[in-house]
Amino acid sequence: MTGTPADGDGALLAIDDLWVRFDTADGEVQAVRGVSLRVPAGGALGIVGESGSGKSVSMLSVLGLTRGRRTRIEGSIRFEGRELTTASEDDLRQVRGGEVGMIFQDPLSSLHPFYRVGRQLVEALRTHRDDMGKAAARERAVELLALVGIPEPRRRVDAYPHEYSGGMRQRAMIAMALANEPQLLIADEPTTALDVTVQAQILALIARLREELGMAVVLITHDLGVVAEVADDIAVMYAGEVVERGSKDVIFGAPQHPYTWGLLRSIPRLDRPRDEELVPIAGRPPSPIALPKGCGFSPRCPYVRRAHRETHPALEPVPDRAGHEVRCLLAPEVRSALWRELASGAGPEEAKAATGYRSDLDDLTGAQAER
Amino acid sequence: MALLPRRTLGLAVAAVTALALAACGSSSNDNGGVSSGAPVKGKKGGTLKVIAQGDFEHIDPGEVYYQFDYLMTYATQRPLYAFKPDQFALTTPDMAASQPVLSDGGQTVTVKLKPNIKFSPPVNRAATSKDVKYAIERAFTAAVPNGYVGTYFSIIQGAPEPGQKTLPDIKGIQTPDDQTIVFKLSEPSGAFVEALSLPVTAPVPVDYAKKYDAKAPSTYGNYQVSTGPYMWQADKSGKIAYQVGKIGTLVRNPNWTPSTDFRPAYVDRVQFSMGNEDTIVASRQILNGKGMVTGDISADPPVIKQTLQRRKSQINFAPLGMRYISLNTTVKPLDDLNVRKAILAASDRNALRLTRGGPVVGDMATHFLPPGTPGFEESGGVKGTGVDYLANPNGNMAVAKKYLAASGIDPSKFTLLVVGDDSGVGGKTAQVFQSQLTKLGFKVDLKQVPHDVMYSRYCNVPKAKVAVCPNVGTLPDFADGQAALDTYFNGAAIVPENNNNWPQLNVPAINKAIEAAKKITDKPQRAKAWAQVNRMIVEQAAAVPWIWDKQANLESSDVQGVIDKWNADWNVSFSSIK
Amino acid sequence: MATYIARRLLWAVFLLLVVSFLTFVIFYALPSADPAVLRAGGRSGNQALLESIRQTLGLDRPWYVQYGKYMDRLLLHFDFGYSYRNDAPVRQQIFDRLPATASLVVGAAIVWVAVGIPVGVISATRRRSWIDRMSMGAALVAISAPVYWLGLVSLYLFADDIGRFPIFKGSASYVPFSQDPAAWFGSLILPWLVLAATAAAFYARLLRSNLSEVLGEDYIRTARAKGLSERAVVWRHGVRAAITPVITVLGLDIGILLGGAILTETVFNIPGIGRLAYTAIRTADLPVIQGTVLFGAVFIIIANLVVDVLYAFLDPRVRFQ
Repeated sequence: MTGTPADGDGALLAIDDLWVRFDTADGEVQAVRGVSLRVPAGGALGIVGESGSGKSVSMLSVLGLTRGRRTRIEGSIRFEGRELTTASEDDLRQVRGGEVGMIFQDPLSSLHPFYRVGRQLVEALRTHRDDMGKAAARERAVELLALVGIPEPRRRVDAYPHEYSGGMRQRAMIAMALANEPQLLIADEPTTALDVTVQAQILALIARLREELGMAVVLITHDLGVVAEVADDIAVMYAGEVVERGSKDVIFGAPQHPYTWGLLRSIPRLDRPRDEELVPIAGRPPSPIALPKGCGFSPRCPYVRRAHRETHPALEPVPDRAGHEVRCLLAPEVRSALWRELASGAGPEEAKAATGYRSDLDDLTGAQAER
Repeated sequence: MALLPRRTLGLAVAAVTALALAACGSSSNDNGGVSSGAPVKGKKGGTLKVIAQGDFEHIDPGEVYYQFDYLMTYATQRPLYAFKPDQFALTTPDMAASQPVLSDGGQTVTVKLKPNIKFSPPVNRAATSKDVKYAIERAFTAAVPNGYVGTYFSIIQGAPEPGQKTLPDIKGIQTPDDQTIVFKLSEPSGAFVEALSLPVTAPVPVDYAKKYDAKAPSTYGNYQVSTGPYMWQADKSGKIAYQVGKIGTLVRNPNWTPSTDFRPAYVDRVQFSMGNEDTIVASRQILNGKGMVTGDISADPPVIKQTLQRRKSQINFAPLGMRYISLNTTVKPLDDLNVRKAILAASDRNALRLTRGGPVVGDMATHFLPPGTPGFEESGGVKGTGVDYLANPNGNMAVAKKYLAASGIDPSKFTLLVVGDDSGVGGKTAQVFQSQLTKLGFKVDLKQVPHDVMYSRYCNVPKAKVAVCPNVGTLPDFADGQAALDTYFNGAAIVPENNNNWPQLNVPAINKAIEAAKKITDKPQRAKAWAQVNRMIVEQAAAVPWIWDKQANLESSDVQGVIDKWNADWNVSFSSIK
Repeated sequence: MATYIARRLLWAVFLLLVVSFLTFVIFYALPSADPAVLRAGGRSGNQALLESIRQTLGLDRPWYVQYGKYMDRLLLHFDFGYSYRNDAPVRQQIFDRLPATASLVVGAAIVWVAVGIPVGVISATRRRSWIDRMSMGAALVAISAPVYWLGLVSLYLFADDIGRFPIFKGSASYVPFSQDPAAWFGSLILPWLVLAATAAAFYARLLRSNLSEVLGEDYIRTARAKGLSERAVVWRHGVRAAITPVITVLGLDIGILLGGAILTETVFNIPGIGRLAYTAIRTADLPVIQGTVLFGAVFIIIANLVVDVLYAFLDPRVRFQ
């Protein structure tokens, strides 16, 4: 058992020790393993991780969208104090699109190709408001399109999704998610399918709307750069677990987990020399069906020790830093030393050499080390 | 169907299913319990439904030439003569008042007509000899294609070739008064007298029909009027209520006088239902239902079997023509009489008959005059003429070898072109016969095509040089040797297309005997003469006779069905509802 | 759109010309029975009669002359000629039989859509459940069963004249709607069910596979995330997207069958176009063969056109291309 103890203490969304497992033909997929998260009202949480890290699944589970005959969901998800894992479909439907709006990665495939954008907006509105007439819903749809910055909304409301540009589609998706003034907006990779300039506009839009509407935001992304724009807090996920979490400043300023280091080194930064090499993290995430026994990141970790492969690390507070937690077996001072070297531009091997860190696996050949 | 009829029979039937003909065993009087179809007194009233797989081929009395067409025509039209249901070979005066009077050595035939036989509405007047003359003359025009006037009526003096552009005035047909018609023949003819019973002699009202006959083809059929007990239901304009491929209805003819007719006409209406393509379904509908009889459907062997077990009284077997396998006497080595005899001797005719269902479909044929035809007994009856190559119905290889040795040919040096049906039982028959030829040592080139194609493109065309036609057969127009043998074995009848002398038999002695027999009008002598012709044909071994067919007719349990033996089908003006 | 349709119509006329030409060529190239002999009724050896029939029917002319005459009459007078067999005008015969075929086909289409679509939706939404397995098993059986066999079995089981459980009207019971609507309906129940069985199974399977795929689409997730009820998600969003190919097939099927549902019409003795064509082929009745073939081709071409227009109507993405 990992994670912080459950304390529903006033958080808008409180996830505690959430496990999501899928039965597949190949075996059981452990998509989410004991995840605990908090989103305060009006707050903004960024969840960062590679695809398959469980970040989307945990958030879809909030809306009950992962429910199915072959899914097992354990743990607790509370929204405004109400338990959602055991809520009825009808209750969940009130949450979906009502109190919680969600937008997805590919706005083209996420909008129904056969229906006009306006109609899809109206549908979102009227599903949650029995009393709203068609004309009123349409007016509101135009307003929503205007709100998300679509030019000529009165005309565009009658267009089909394929007549919109990529950025406009995502704006339309956002408008739809916001239709019922939700308290929480979950944005699942909202900018991945968009080109860079549009990305920035969409992120700015989300930030602005959060301001204006006072809603909380959960931003799911594989890109730390994106989170930087929007989030207050960041949770880094790896292989179904939260491996590090803390405020944006802490994560960017003093990250503790080797995986977070890898992520940070793989994004271009304005405060770094332009010619600095962007280093992707070597290797691939583990199969969710055959997870490593010890630390989930150990097969890819440059600093792994033999013992890390046997012991599963717990998510533990970083000493002296309130709200900063990390799931790593390295000693805190080793981590700090290594990060200092990495932050100054060194590679993992240089950092190890500079800090004098030596793993008991470093003498083995690559192939043996892989095991 | 596989019979090749003068009067086409069940043309539609056999393309899909076998034309199944039936009898119980080889003895034709073994009918204990099955419907006899004999005329009995019935109750008046009710509707008789006639269930057909196909449809009428023609409805104009000048054109009809098919078993099912006849079923309808002999209830609506009165030719000069007709057949009583149980009289196979004896005509009864119908439109005529009495039997024909022959004079001038048989070259003048005088027929007196009944007075006051009225046409049905809208004509409503009495039919006269002029209407009969017109009926025959119009059948010589292209507008009214007729299949038999060229055969039986061309000996009338002044008769033109059939297919005339304009109506001919045939001098040999004279009408001295309204009740007398005289035929002047170029030579005496026994068959002509018989042919006066064909539908073409039924009167057609000149004044009324002319406008319809002016079109080519004529549309008179659709506006036809009746002299018989029934007429087509028609609208005000006289157009009959016949829907091709769907239905047709006969109702009582208000102008018909029962006292002038031998037909009792029990039922009030006769309704035809066409297009019942699945004969097993149709058979069951008749057997389980009420008021129905078969029209052009001959029951399939499985239906026959079941019916004989459970509903014996609802099935009737009626003789109907014959089948044989023709051997082309002009193709080497079949031009050698010994080779043909060898093939006949080697033929397992029982095996051939089994392809159609065995003894239930008909008796084993031993010569070419079907049972009931005058001359049948004189030809040796069911036993046959006594030749050794037809003695064993299972074939006799020893006899075959004997004749083959006598011919001195090596069969393996010859490839015989055999053209047969491509489907159904006909196809099976062709294959069985192929194997029998192979057994004798011949190489065989078997071509299988649709039945109609077999006839019209191969077996009926001498130029095609088909050696063996395994799926041919005949259905004589009436019970007479000439009708059964002339077109099929007379050398003079060989024509370049649509030839029916499939063996292309052209033996001067036989040709002479046929011409002589045609002229005989005395019935017993005529029978003897045709039996002699029949024996000569058997001697020539020009074909393998293998079935004298019987047709299985079905009736509902409440129908008192009467069979026209000469037509092997129900007679609707004698049948009644119980 | 107008030019598009105009272009399609021109193409259709061209296709019909090709079809009519091919029918003619095939009829003359392949050995078929001699129509003159059949017309003569029986197989008389009389040459003069045959010659005169050939002349009357125009069969004595070379085939291309016959074709030319045929097309001339067809194009200038919309005259399909007359049956060799019974002289009935072909056009009238076809129009006469159209109501029966249309009754059969349209009714059956309603049945198979009414059965196939719900079954397909239920199967797709409950994949691998027992109800899915059962309906897909039944569908496989229905698809494999030949219509002719199915027709006979249904008659032996349920026809009121020969069936074991006499519930429905049997073969040859067809009555035109104009004559007696109730009897019309009663007589068509079995044929509708039989003709619809295979199609319903096919549609259920088609829809199941389409809908299964669609239900995995992102916009379905969006619909759920909006808070729509499952029924609205499946029907309004899922089926709406999955139905397009089904409607395409439906249009073509109806078009093809209007040209004659030969087997069903034959088993149940319904006097429709299919049986007309069947009889014509068996009796070498070229004008009727030609007429029914052309008529069938017209229906297929119209169906294609309708389907294309409908497709554009159904899928806005196609409309704007």
